[in-house]
Amino acid sequence: MPGKDLEWAAAEIAENAGGLPQPGRVGEVCRDALHVTGAGLMLISGDGVQGSLCTTDPVSTLIEELQYSLGEGPCLDAYRQDQVVAEPDLSNPATSRWPAFTYAALRGGAHAVFSLPLKTGGLRLGSLDLYMDRPASLSVDQIADGIVLAGLAAGWVMAAQGATTPGALSDILTTGDFHLAVHNAAGMVSVQLGVPVREALLLLRGHAFAQGVALNTTAQDVITGRLRFG
Amino acid sequence: MDTQDAIIQALVSMADVLVEDFDVVDMLTGLTRKCVDLLGISAAGVMIADPSNVLHVIASSSEEMRVLELFELQSEQGPCLDAYHSGESVHHQMLLTSPATTWPLFTQAALDAGFHAVSALPLRLRDTTIGALNLFTTGRMPMDTGGAVVARAFADLATISIVQHRSTDQLQRINDQLSYALNSRILIEQAKGIIAERAKVDLQEAFNRLRRYTRNNNLRLTDVAAAAVAGTLDSTAWTPRATAPTPPLPRSGPSRPA
Repeated sequence: MPGKDLEWAAAEIAENAGGLPQPGRVGEVCRDALHVTGAGLMLISGDGVQGSLCTTDPVSTLIEELQYSLGEGPCLDAYRQDQVVAEPDLSNPATSRWPAFTYAALRGGAHAVFSLPLKTGGLRLGSLDLYMDRPASLSVDQIADGIVLAGLAAGWVMAAQGATTPGALSDILTTGDFHLAVHNAAGMVSVQLGVPVREALLLLRGHAFAQGVALNTTAQDVITGRLRFG
Repeated sequence: MDTQDAIIQALVSMADVLVEDFDVVDMLTGLTRKCVDLLGISAAGVMIADPSNVLHVIASSSEEMRVLELFELQSEQGPCLDAYHSGESVHHQMLLTSPATTWPLFTQAALDAGFHAVSALPLRLRDTTIGALNLFTTGRMPMDTGGAVVARAFADLATISIVQHRSTDQLQRINDQLSYALNSRILIEQAKGIIAERAKVDLQEAFNRLRRYTRNNNLRLTDVAAAAVAGTLDSTAWTPRATAPTPPLPRSGPSRPA
């Protein structure tokens, strides 16, 4: 029964005697309460900083990584457009709104993707990312529960950060993948080419896309000196 | 737009309470209106308990509904009170004037107002019940299963909005701190890359130099990293022995007119 699951999920995400749950647990709770194959939480700051707080399995990791590498996909749309995004069948060519993402996500084993804005009190913090390993729609009550869960997860992020010294990132959130190596590499490439860091980031992204590899792989190549620009 | 889209839209808009505009009464009044529009019922109302557990009528979809809810509170009997006190839903109850009826005073008043059936859902999060949502119909048909699920979702979302609602200033402050902390982390990583490349050292050594420069000049790491990314950082920051006191963040021109 959806109602019972939601109640269970609310209790799991809440602060208890042991403090707030870890990100991995929050992801699992979202996955299990919504009866999907996998889930992830993406944190997006207004300044374009993007990080994956948690993913429940390699496919959901891939879904978040692809969106970071390619700059397109369901959770970016959910965040930017501030609405629920549902793609029940990625293999349907008529509905391919993210060509590069769709191809790679399908190959990785995701057949349906859904994303809901992570928000609390009108503040948007990112997206809750869901996927299914077969074409499938979400029912109205799954979506309704998903919206409620995304609100709970956003409250969890706020509770974690609110308990931290100003200036620092909450210990709970610091386990997220904020693609730090990509930023190291962007700094290096900006010196190699004499361009602003922002531009270096775009060049890295373009290079990764052209080579068909993850942005993180390209970044590691720059850091180890295997790849140089200019 | 079909009903399903309308319901999803309603849920999203409920979650979309603007920080500077958040008002519990507005949100709950909107909720009662959405219940009437989307659930096939005739009227809806919300009661919320104050800190001493006394219920108050907060929002109603119509004036007659408000009067009836006030009466329910006065007569201390009715579905909303039951849902609040038990924490359990009161599922579609037909209102009949039989001697055995659960709420004789309330039932008579509701029938007089033209209602024939009632449901009530607790507004509950975890162990805390903060109030109840009342749904009334003039017809005799019970709400369908889909409607009941959506009503539950409406009630849950309303509860979360209220329970999680911190002061707008507080939320905004936490969000600003989160953005600052994330930005700071990323600026530092970018600065490490810049210094590593300029000084031809690895990232760890680049970080050591960044920290040493920051400490020696009594600056903040984030500010120094931002200067490195902006290209305004003095080259002594990445030369091995940057111990000489240097002007912290040199600018290209003189700092004051000659």
